[in-house]
Amino acid sequence: MRFWSIRLASVLIALGACVLLQALVGHASDYEQRIVVLVGLYITLSVSLNLINGITGQFSIGHAAFYQVGAYLTGYLTLNYFSKQPIHNMLLWVILMMFVGAIGAAVAGFIVGLPSLRLRGDYLAIVTLGFGEIIRITVQNQPAIGGSYGMNVTPKYQSVALVWLLAIICIAVCRNLLKTAHGLPFLSVREDEVASQAMGVNVTRVKVTAFLIGSAFAGAAGALLAHFEGFITPTTFGMDVSFIILTMVVLGGTGSITGSIFAAALLAYLPEYLRGLKGADGQPLMIPGSNVVAWLVAVAVAVTLTRLVMNKYSGDKLKKLALYLGAFALAVVSRFIAAFFLRMIPVMANKQIPIDQVRMVIFAVTLIVIMLLRPQGIFAHHEFSWSWVKGLFKRGEVPHSAVSA
Amino acid sequence: MSILELQAATIKFGGLIAVNEVSFKLEKGDLFGLIGPNGAGKTTCFNLITGVYKPTSGDIIFHGRQIQGTPPNRIAQLGICRTFQNIRLFPALSVLENVVVGGFLRHRTTLAGALLYLPSSLRETRRLKDEAMDYLKILDLDGVPNARAADLPYGMQRRLEIARAMATKPELLLLDEPAAGMNPQEKQDLMETVKRIRDDHGITILVIEHDMRFVMNLCERIVVLDHGEEIAHGPPEAIRNDPKVISAYLGEPV
Amino acid sequence: MTLALHLVAGVDFNTLPQQLVNGLLLGAIYALIALGYTMVYGVLRLINFAHGEVYMLGAYVALFVSYFMGFRPDATHPPQATILNLVIMLLASMVVCSIVGVCIERFAYRPMRSHSRIASLITAIGVSLLLQYGGALFLPNSPPPSISESVNPFHGQSKEFTLKGPSQDLVMLVEKAKPAKDQAQAAYQGWLTSHPNADIYNLPADGQALKEAQQSSTDIFNDAEHKVEAGGVHLIIQTGQAVMLVSTVVLMGILTYMVLFTRAGRAMRAVSHDFDSAALMGINVNNIVTFTFVLGSSLAGAGAMMTATFLGTPLTTFYGLAPGVKAFVAAVLGGIGNIPGAVLGGLLMGMAENMVVWAGYSNYRDAVAFLVLIIVLLFKPGGLMGSSKVEKV
Ligand SMILES: Nc1ncnc2c1ncn2[C@@H]1O[C@H](COP(=O)(O)OP(=O)(O)OP(=O)(O)O)[C@@H](O)[C@H]1O
Ligand SMILES: [Mg+2]
Repeated sequence: MRFWSIRLASVLIALGACVLLQALVGHASDYEQRIVVLVGLYITLSVSLNLINGITGQFSIGHAAFYQVGAYLTGYLTLNYFSKQPIHNMLLWVILMMFVGAIGAAVAGFIVGLPSLRLRGDYLAIVTLGFGEIIRITVQNQPAIGGSYGMNVTPKYQSVALVWLLAIICIAVCRNLLKTAHGLPFLSVREDEVASQAMGVNVTRVKVTAFLIGSAFAGAAGALLAHFEGFITPTTFGMDVSFIILTMVVLGGTGSITGSIFAAALLAYLPEYLRGLKGADGQPLMIPGSNVVAWLVAVAVAVTLTRLVMNKYSGDKLKKLALYLGAFALAVVSRFIAAFFLRMIPVMANKQIPIDQVRMVIFAVTLIVIMLLRPQGIFAHHEFSWSWVKGLFKRGEVPHSAVSA
Repeated sequence: MSILELQAATIKFGGLIAVNEVSFKLEKGDLFGLIGPNGAGKTTCFNLITGVYKPTSGDIIFHGRQIQGTPPNRIAQLGICRTFQNIRLFPALSVLENVVVGGFLRHRTTLAGALLYLPSSLRETRRLKDEAMDYLKILDLDGVPNARAADLPYGMQRRLEIARAMATKPELLLLDEPAAGMNPQEKQDLMETVKRIRDDHGITILVIEHDMRFVMNLCERIVVLDHGEEIAHGPPEAIRNDPKVISAYLGEPV
Repeated sequence: MTLALHLVAGVDFNTLPQQLVNGLLLGAIYALIALGYTMVYGVLRLINFAHGEVYMLGAYVALFVSYFMGFRPDATHPPQATILNLVIMLLASMVVCSIVGVCIERFAYRPMRSHSRIASLITAIGVSLLLQYGGALFLPNSPPPSISESVNPFHGQSKEFTLKGPSQDLVMLVEKAKPAKDQAQAAYQGWLTSHPNADIYNLPADGQALKEAQQSSTDIFNDAEHKVEAGGVHLIIQTGQAVMLVSTVVLMGILTYMVLFTRAGRAMRAVSHDFDSAALMGINVNNIVTFTFVLGSSLAGAGAMMTATFLGTPLTTFYGLAPGVKAFVAAVLGGIGNIPGAVLGGLLMGMAENMVVWAGYSNYRDAVAFLVLIIVLLFKPGGLMGSSKVEKV
């Protein structure tokens, strides 16, 4: 009884939160709404890829393909059949489309999952990537769905609530999987396939299931994207999008759901935020080329020094902190020194770069820096929880592995 | 009827005949030893029994039923489980989780139920965890259920492998060099544990081991392999004095 | 069967040899890039995603060197191009690419070596994005510049081979059409001279008939002659492209020699066989990794200089993306880590791509690489020449 009341309450809270969010951003500008939606979609994408990649250990790097299948399949159906069918409620129709997109993408996921039965690691990675490209190029060459120009999806339906509901469901599904014994075969396949099989785990079924579930969520996300934007092009689902989703998973820490959520929110928001920055004149912000390079120099200095402290110094925590701060200060100083010299080079000083062009550079640098400083991802294998945070601050103790013997 | 029978089981890897017409029979409740010099084909025998390899010829019969060619996970479900010579735990999982993976094949809930977090799947999870704790107790690992498997010392990892295999509730347990790398005291403890597993749980055990004292004291019957061929078969006393065995081990004191 | 018929229905077998030669050329370039991927994978088990960007930088270096030597596109009197200019560009590309490759390894990959392979992979993706987008901020890329044709001393030179002459029927047709044409022409000219005041745009009926007869017979003749020209199987090879192919083969030869017969090459093979044991045997693995990056990156630089110069492709900072991905696919196809495999994979990839173009599906030329790969891997999970090691249990 108690169980069911908690369950009911949590479902209601989830629904309520989504509706509330919708009400909150309902009056915001299109630009702001779009950010909220993108963050929600990327959370779904990264958490679902995390299931395949982080939890089951199948190195799939073509997740955008499933996103695309969902978007195009449902976009096509809406464009051609919405007016001809009896459901005239757009909400119900879009929910139906989420399921259709999920099923379509799951079929694709099944097909991509099959090679995973024979291929490992890098080979599987390149096949999933290739599969994504094949889908994209095929779509590009079908005039019936707009070819490389893109396809209009009318009527549009912009629902922030649905996007976030999907994200919550995706998170809940993955969390539930890990909280019950059913998640263990997935983890064990990641750890050691041979041993898993010897323990009676049907490795084939586990891998295919992971691909099915993961791609289904990406497909549903695609359906929502198509109806939110009202216009989709093949480039929305290119290799770079796959890489971005993969990056979110690794950045958060492979296998960590909370990590994926955090990294997805960060990486989906950051570029949009930068795109929206305005200079004093209301135009997109311009930065002198010399400053961009100076910042890169500063980052390089900071990373080098931090790594030095990290690897070479093993003393008092406070002193270490002081050293880190010193490294940071030096980096800031080096930024100004570098800028001083760089300004003497005319190419650098005279070149004004719109911030929009810098955002992918920032993205790339963030990636490299986080990998260099924390290669296991922000959250490593852990899930975010207060006991874990507390564990971090305890002296010299490694959380969760207090081996007695 | 015997629980497991190898009938002229043979496997070739290219030109190498790793196991050549090996035949032996295990009765229910046996504590059976499989010995031989390095490269004799002992581990390969295990791989044949557990379905990792398919024999080139010959039969493997479990409870009167041919099992060669059955995939390893099916064989585990039928009731044969093993440990690995080169330890193959799930390193990033906790000790308890490792054992629950073993127990998972006898679970009774559906994936959909787990994804919906239904009470039944929670109950089942709790039950599996409790059971896993019992197995940890048997192997004296109940002090460290939350440690990462990779962080355990070597001897504990070997015991964890046994606990994990036991969690699949096998009728036949195959142990591949369970005492390797242990000190004499640990070996002694392990020997008693293995005996208890057989006596208390009624599990038939087939064990590969290089430590002769361990095998001779533990096993009731022994098969000796050399270069893939069966060279002797019988109780420990007979094996000890078998000239073929002695020469196979190059006069090593047995 | 019907599908196959449908697929080949629109193809022209007379252009097949030309497409095969083009495929060979493209494949050779893929192979050159693929060697870099495969060698790095061999020693570090790392997919060097930034390799395509090293290639891109190589093309830019060639561009800048050509500017420096005075071959700017806007130059009114560019200097006389010589082979020396090309050699300088080639060496500059190779040297700069080696340096870039070594720096990337030293500062981005080496710190990651002790961590999970996926972390290194992400770093590699990061470096690749940084070079693409960071490069775009400073390198000239819009409008995409291309290396001036004037630097290519072989520009416009080509050799035509006739593999098969036009069919006899066509030749007969021309022979028949010629007298008819001459006759009609003579008649018309004759009429014109006898009517000097005629307005050729407004002729009387008899003149008009002669004029039309002359026109139609000329058309028939021209048409027949055109068919004869197009009818044979010809192969046009541009001298520049031939030079490119030969240079590629020479570079591969040098590489093979280095890998097989030098100390460093032997050490490299040892490291690629077993990284840790090689280190224990006293091989300085860091030097070997550097050596590997020098070899791979300089090959990429050479390839980039040649494509940018001889094929005249415009440069953007994404110049390396497609060739990089395809070359990587080629390396995997051949069995990654396997040097002959990379060459085989590259050639196959180039051929496959041109066959698709030849069959009239040029829109799918980027997809075919992956299609071939997936099919091959499903049957040979380790690639064509790679060994798919069975894990010992
Ligand atoms: N997958 C395989 N492919 C090729 N040869 C193999 C394979 N597996 C085992 N072998 C060979 O079969 C022979 C027997 O190996 P096996 O591992 O069974 O020996 P063992 O008796 O367990 O030896 P040890 O005591 O050293 O564990 C060895 O020569 C081994 O190299
Ligand atoms: Mg063995």
